[in-house]
Amino acid sequence: MIKQFGYFLEIVKGSLITTRHFVVNMFFHILNLVGIKTKRKGAVTRQYPEAPIEVARRHRSLHRLMLREDGKPRCVVCMLCATVCPSECIFIEATEDPDPEIQKYPSNFIIDLNRCCFCGFCVEACPEDAIRMDTGEVELARYSRGDLVYDLEKLTG
Amino acid sequence: MSDILILLIKIVAALVWFLVLTLYLTWLERKESAIMQDRIGANRADFFGIRVIGLFQPFADAIKMMFKEDFTPTFSRRFIHNLAPFVAFFFTAVTVQAIPFGDVLRVGGKEIKLQVLDIDVGILFILAMLSFTVYGVLLSGWASNSRWTLLGGLRGTAQLVSYEVALGLSLIGLVMVFPSLRFSSIVNYQGELLFGWLPQWGILLQPLGFIVFLFASLAESERVPFDLPEGESEIVGFFTEYSGLKWGLYMFTSFMKVLLIACLLTTLFFGGYHVPWLNPDGFHFPWGGEWLLPHGIVVLFQIIMFNVKVIFFCWLQILIRWTYPRFRYDQLMDFGWKFLVPLSVINIVATAIVMTLLK
Amino acid sequence: MVKIYINDREIEVKEGTTVFHAALDAGIPIPHFCYHPAFAPEGTCRMCLVEVEGMPKLELACSLQIREGMKIFTQNERVREARRGVLEFLLAEHPLDCPICDQAGDCKLQDYYEEYGLFDSRFSEVKDKRGKKIRLGKYLLHDQERCVLCRRCVRFLREVTGTGEMGVFERGGHTKVDTYEEGQQVDNNYSGNLAQLCPVGAITDTDFRFQTRSWFLEAGESICPLCSRGCRITIQAHRGFARFKLPKRVYRIKAVDDPLVNGPWICDKGRYGYSYLDENRATRILKKGESSPDWQEAIDWLSASILRLKHRNRLERVSVVLSSRLSNEELFLAKKLFKDDLGVGRVFFADAPPEEGDDMLLTPDRVPNTRGARELGWEDVPVDMEALNRETDLLLMFGPDFENAHSLSDILGCFEQIETTVLLTPFDGSLSSQVDLLLPTTPVAEKAGSLTNIDGVLRNFQPALPALGHSRAEWSLLIDLGKALDLRFQYYSRLSSPEAVFQEMTGEIPFFEKNVE
Ligand code: SF4
Ligand code: SF4
Ligand code: SF4
Ligand code: SF4
Ligand code: FES
Repeated sequence: MIKQFGYFLEIVKGSLITTRHFVVNMFFHILNLVGIKTKRKGAVTRQYPEAPIEVARRHRSLHRLMLREDGKPRCVVCMLCATVCPSECIFIEATEDPDPEIQKYPSNFIIDLNRCCFCGFCVEACPEDAIRMDTGEVELARYSRGDLVYDLEKLTG
Repeated sequence: MSDILILLIKIVAALVWFLVLTLYLTWLERKESAIMQDRIGANRADFFGIRVIGLFQPFADAIKMMFKEDFTPTFSRRFIHNLAPFVAFFFTAVTVQAIPFGDVLRVGGKEIKLQVLDIDVGILFILAMLSFTVYGVLLSGWASNSRWTLLGGLRGTAQLVSYEVALGLSLIGLVMVFPSLRFSSIVNYQGELLFGWLPQWGILLQPLGFIVFLFASLAESERVPFDLPEGESEIVGFFTEYSGLKWGLYMFTSFMKVLLIACLLTTLFFGGYHVPWLNPDGFHFPWGGEWLLPHGIVVLFQIIMFNVKVIFFCWLQILIRWTYPRFRYDQLMDFGWKFLVPLSVINIVATAIVMTLLK
Repeated sequence: MVKIYINDREIEVKEGTTVFHAALDAGIPIPHFCYHPAFAPEGTCRMCLVEVEGMPKLELACSLQIREGMKIFTQNERVREARRGVLEFLLAEHPLDCPICDQAGDCKLQDYYEEYGLFDSRFSEVKDKRGKKIRLGKYLLHDQERCVLCRRCVRFLREVTGTGEMGVFERGGHTKVDTYEEGQQVDNNYSGNLAQLCPVGAITDTDFRFQTRSWFLEAGESICPLCSRGCRITIQAHRGFARFKLPKRVYRIKAVDDPLVNGPWICDKGRYGYSYLDENRATRILKKGESSPDWQEAIDWLSASILRLKHRNRLERVSVVLSSRLSNEELFLAKKLFKDDLGVGRVFFADAPPEEGDDMLLTPDRVPNTRGARELGWEDVPVDMEALNRETDLLLMFGPDFENAHSLSDILGCFEQIETTVLLTPFDGSLSSQVDLLLPTTPVAEKAGSLTNIDGVLRNFQPALPALGHSRAEWSLLIDLGKALDLRFQYYSRLSSPEAVFQEMTGEIPFFEKNVE
């Protein structure tokens, strides 16, 4: 019985906490409603699509492939990214580049974002700084899976 | 003729009040829970670009539910499956007719009671109707012919039946103090003053009875922390197989119960429509001094007071619903049978002793 | 036997070996670029330095002969420091090509840098530019910048092929390996060995160029079936990706050292002719008038056809065309089944026509097991089209060579006279849709068994690749057929693997008993 009374006290305390939140938040809501600006707001909600959060500079967002000065992809198809990728979502095809100093460049570079887990290992692995995940693009919902298979054109564009 | 007209108007008015308030109870629940949790809550339903803090949300919900596919599983017992939500809805909706909203309104020599059904067994009527709502749960649970609904239905029935005992017993003390089962007389007794200054509200005379009634009625409403019949996270509940408007009816019924309980708490324990020290001709303060008011204003005050009290209790119930986790089933039964029922018996005995001593 | 100490461990070795081999036998590999067991030690790369007690300077393990009581240290700080120095000199002139170098992953220079180097470059001068991407032969590209001047290529061309196209030019920091004449090509049938021999990516295959990276490949040992030399090879196949379909499985073939058969070399035909493993393969059972029979149905149908003829006493009207592509075990099973148990009318052999061989490895036969067939007592009876035309009711054909040897119209002409035609082949050809039953089988790379090479050397092999599609090894088919015919069920049930069949063979045929590996 005494133990249960202890529970009862805790239960009351619990509702006091929620009540306090209600009252305090309500106070600020009302202040805001009548036009008094306060630093603290009644809610921590962000109105997302209208007021998007700025993506941190180091955030890992949609990939992009870097280009050389002459517009060719910087990637040399070493396939280290495809090797390290834990989701096996990178697929690259190499072609011969006439320049003997370059020799190899990607004729196709596919990242299947359906599978990508955005770990950023590919960026870490790349010896040429050819792939980056700094586009800030995070809204990657699509209506079809095919749209999420990014090829060379989409990744460099 | 005009009597019947007035009666009809009263019935419709009470029903409309009940339904509209219930509708906005859904909004209140969303908003209140949001504010408790530092959120904003539904605010995006817009009506030609007007958003007004989500006030259109209930309509949006209603429209959505209406246009959702009304899916009846092939393995269900169709007729009963379709009937069940209406049973639950109907028996909850009629209860409001026994609640007094105010005192007598005098219009052109006619006395209109602001209550539809002023019968001498008002309390019994409401308890009886509440018992009928069990059918809604039981029938849906059984007729859907699915394991989850059956479990939900069984749980719901056991819970409602158990707590009805405590609910009934808790009111006996009250009936002993205010020797009547008629709502209007109970409210009128509460209008009197104790020691010449203290409004003689039920909660003051029956604190124990109030506590038992509060918990028992929360359990009757089948909401968290007593939501075992639904228990989304474990068995989904007796309305698993419902969709669209029929599911909406169940949801609506559950909110109507919240409102009904608020009405009962107000009427039985918080003086109903009484404003402290407001007599039919105006305020008479116990410290001397008075503020006479015309009859219409007094009635208006009463109706407003009633609504304020009801909304407060709605708020309280939502607060409770968003604060606590669900009971375990054995705890639920223990709480009902081993705590509330003995407590209500103690309450009856204590009330009897005190009343005998005071005689 | 002499006693020496390597890293304070006492070891007994044969007299006259080098420190390098002594250490290798003791399980202590010594880093090396220039040394190759096929050639005399050259001592040009100085990667194999070890310390020997009592000698003031570090010594070359590859060329130092052991002496009684020698105390050798292969891993102490002095040695490691020296190796680090050698690597630093090599890398001073080495391009940063690993990302585009096909050798990456197999490269000795990379491996040793990982083990002994791991320094940051101190070389701030401009690196010497040399020839890159020079065509060296039909299958070869030469990159002089990546060369570590081990001279293995030069020695191979001088000592093994004797053609000597390449040599070392210039001196000091400008030393390079090049052909004697500008644009000269290495175009013998063994040129591919240069790519395998080069410890770095200086000579690479054009065939493998940019196809994939070596670490994706999984190697399985097998035997080259393209001539009757039966060289030992590893087949390197891609593991595949979860989501992307690759055009092929096999990406390259390398030689495996087998002193009795091929030594460390293989010919270009075997090295680059692997496309048959993925292209034009028969992968599904095809039966006339039926959509997709499974193996059980197909074999039951075949045995029923044979038994029908048996009941009508017409087994002499069954003809079998065997192939020397089959392993010893399969030819043995065929003998048991067709000769001993059924006593079929005619058994022919259809093999690819001999082509020119050479005086190194390549033999004229274009099938692997001609010798094995002889040893098993099969005679090389060429297909008699007349007999097929008139005296055959059921024809069983093994391998693709019968259809390659005769014109399609001739064969189809025969087929009109024959009730039932069955083809067992790994390859999809023009006959696939003409026969009554096509059973897809596996090439050597996908099965287990043994082959006898032209010199009578017996070699076992295990599957290097999984069987493609529905195809199955002939030995298991023959056993299943033997069981289904129910002539000697016990006997065929006992032979559940190529090993069991081989056991049986050694008991029966003395040649195989002599040659057990
Ligand atoms: S972020 Fe990770 S999962 Fe995505 S492509 Fe790069 S390595 Fe693969
Ligand atoms: S790691 Fe970089 S250079 Fe290598 S293939 Fe990937 S993107 Fe290209
Ligand atoms: S030869 Fe070896 S170290 Fe040199 S670029 Fe090729 S892989 Fe890298
Ligand atoms: S090309 Fe290769 S084999 Fe020839 S010397 Fe250079 S590193 Fe050695
Ligand atoms: S391996 Fe001994 S010097 Fe090259």
